[in-house]
Amino acid sequence: MSEQILSVNSAAIGFDDVEPLIEGVELRLREGEIVGLTGRSGIGKTTLIRTCAGLIPPLSGSISFAGAPLGDKARGEVGLIPQRLGLIQHQTVGYNVLMGALPRAKWYQSAFSLPSAEMRESTRNAVEAVGLQDKILTSVNSLSGGQQRRVAIARAMVQSPKLVLADECLGELDAETAKGIINLLRDLANDGTSILIVDHNPVRARTFCDRVLQLRGKRLVELGDEEQDATPALPVLRRPEQ
Amino acid sequence: MSDTSRVVQIFLKRPMIRVALVLSVLSVLVASHLRITLSRLGDASSNLRVITQEAWPPDFSVVTDRASWAYPPCELQTDWMCSPAVVGMTQTLEIAFLATILGMVLSLPLAAASATNLAPPLMAQSIRQLLAALRVLPSLIWALIFVILVGIGPLAGVLAMTMYSVGYLGKLQYEALEGVSREPLEVARTMGLPRWQVARFFAIPEAANSLLSQMLFMFEYNVRHGSVVGLVGAGGIGWYMQYYLEPFKLYDRVLALIIVMYVVVIAIDQVSLRIRRRFIEDEPMRPKWKQVFLPWTDG
Ligand SMILES: Nc1ncnc2c1ncn2[C@@H]1O[C@H](COP(=O)(O)OP(=O)(O)O)[C@@H](O)[C@H]1O
Ligand SMILES: [Mg+2]
Repeated sequence: MSEQILSVNSAAIGFDDVEPLIEGVELRLREGEIVGLTGRSGIGKTTLIRTCAGLIPPLSGSISFAGAPLGDKARGEVGLIPQRLGLIQHQTVGYNVLMGALPRAKWYQSAFSLPSAEMRESTRNAVEAVGLQDKILTSVNSLSGGQQRRVAIARAMVQSPKLVLADECLGELDAETAKGIINLLRDLANDGTSILIVDHNPVRARTFCDRVLQLRGKRLVELGDEEQDATPALPVLRRPEQ
Repeated sequence: MSDTSRVVQIFLKRPMIRVALVLSVLSVLVASHLRITLSRLGDASSNLRVITQEAWPPDFSVVTDRASWAYPPCELQTDWMCSPAVVGMTQTLEIAFLATILGMVLSLPLAAASATNLAPPLMAQSIRQLLAALRVLPSLIWALIFVILVGIGPLAGVLAMTMYSVGYLGKLQYEALEGVSREPLEVARTMGLPRWQVARFFAIPEAANSLLSQMLFMFEYNVRHGSVVGLVGAGGIGWYMQYYLEPFKLYDRVLALIIVMYVVVIAIDQVSLRIRRRFIEDEPMRPKWKQVFLPWTDG
């Protein structure tokens, strides 16, 4: 019986009480589970992610994290990978990844910019895990899109979080690069981290997620196996029949 | 007759023309209230002739001869290194340097505490008020106040320009900090980091290029204004100008000092502009500066 990490209970989500974007959200994430979130653009996927991160309060209902209210989560327990990654511009890969270790820095370590040996060590390990050890002193601005995503993932890995919220983490990556990123997320989940990942491509989401949820109208629904099969693939993914 | 009044009416309907009319009438009224008359301008031209005759040619002995009356006293052996121009300009640069560094050290935390994306609204608003209050008085008035408080000399200049720098730099800085993108800050907030860490490790590094460029700009500004505060006794080259102006009226030496100042200010502006342009350019960040600013970037 694995632990329940995130639990959203009959929540309304959005910015306007009168007209919420999503209503009656029921969402449970168990330890080590990868759950996909799909839906057309502008429907509220990012808003749902930001609500689960505790950045926006739900309009009604409640969100609990590891059995307690979301607001009580400890530092570093939730990692966010925003749509545009949220890397600190003009700083090195090493600096960006090290920031994931900041939640466990003692006050004097952060006040005097003296990361502990453990913080440096785990930063190095994470950078190696995503295969960027040659780039550790390179500015993130000079990396490719796929490499930048790796940096954002490495930063989340260093947190050793219980939950990672990844918004459109695969974006418009080519299949090969996307596969590499998916493997990294899979490794993270195998270590017990739960992952909620937005992917606008339901076909791809189905290939690597344990479950896929879809936003339809104002509802969050789970795609059953049959239903998933019935979901038409995006036309661009279909090869034209000869 | 009615035609003329029609034209006048159409004319007056234009807002631009009405505004121009009102402003012209006001200007004439204000000028007469200030007793400004054309005959005064005539006086000026004859005075100007006297001054130019006395000031020209500039007396560059201010660059070569020792100023035994320099304060603080100059102990160097070489005469020109103790000349009013060199001592005064050096002091002005030193005052500007100290004021900029002190201003930066004080303003950066204040700016972070008054950026609406980093600080609670009430705190942000009240610190903004404080920064605005510091900007109300120009550095010359601050200099007058500090000359009264700590006496004549460079200390008054440093304190005066620090006050103004904090107010001015603080505003530039919180605007730069508010301009950083939302996402890195949300990453930090999701981690549950306290506000000061969000500011220090996410917002400030992201804005580092503009912050450094603003600091250089403030230094340029302080060099220019550092020449003015000397006129009220707060040290620097202005003080040496004042020395020749009153009571000696040695306009040729003053002119030489003005030329020296002009050349140095232009040189500093040029150098600073070159450096700032490198920061403003997007790519790539100069590692040298980054290490000065953030010593633990080596992962
Ligand atoms: N801060 C905000 N305030 C008000 N409305 C917002 C805000 N952010 C996003 N929205 C609106 O919420 C809707 C959903 O946006 P978003 O969650 O970004 O959609 P998605 O990620 O599914 O493309 C959009 O109509 C957007 O305009
Ligand atoms: Mg989105």
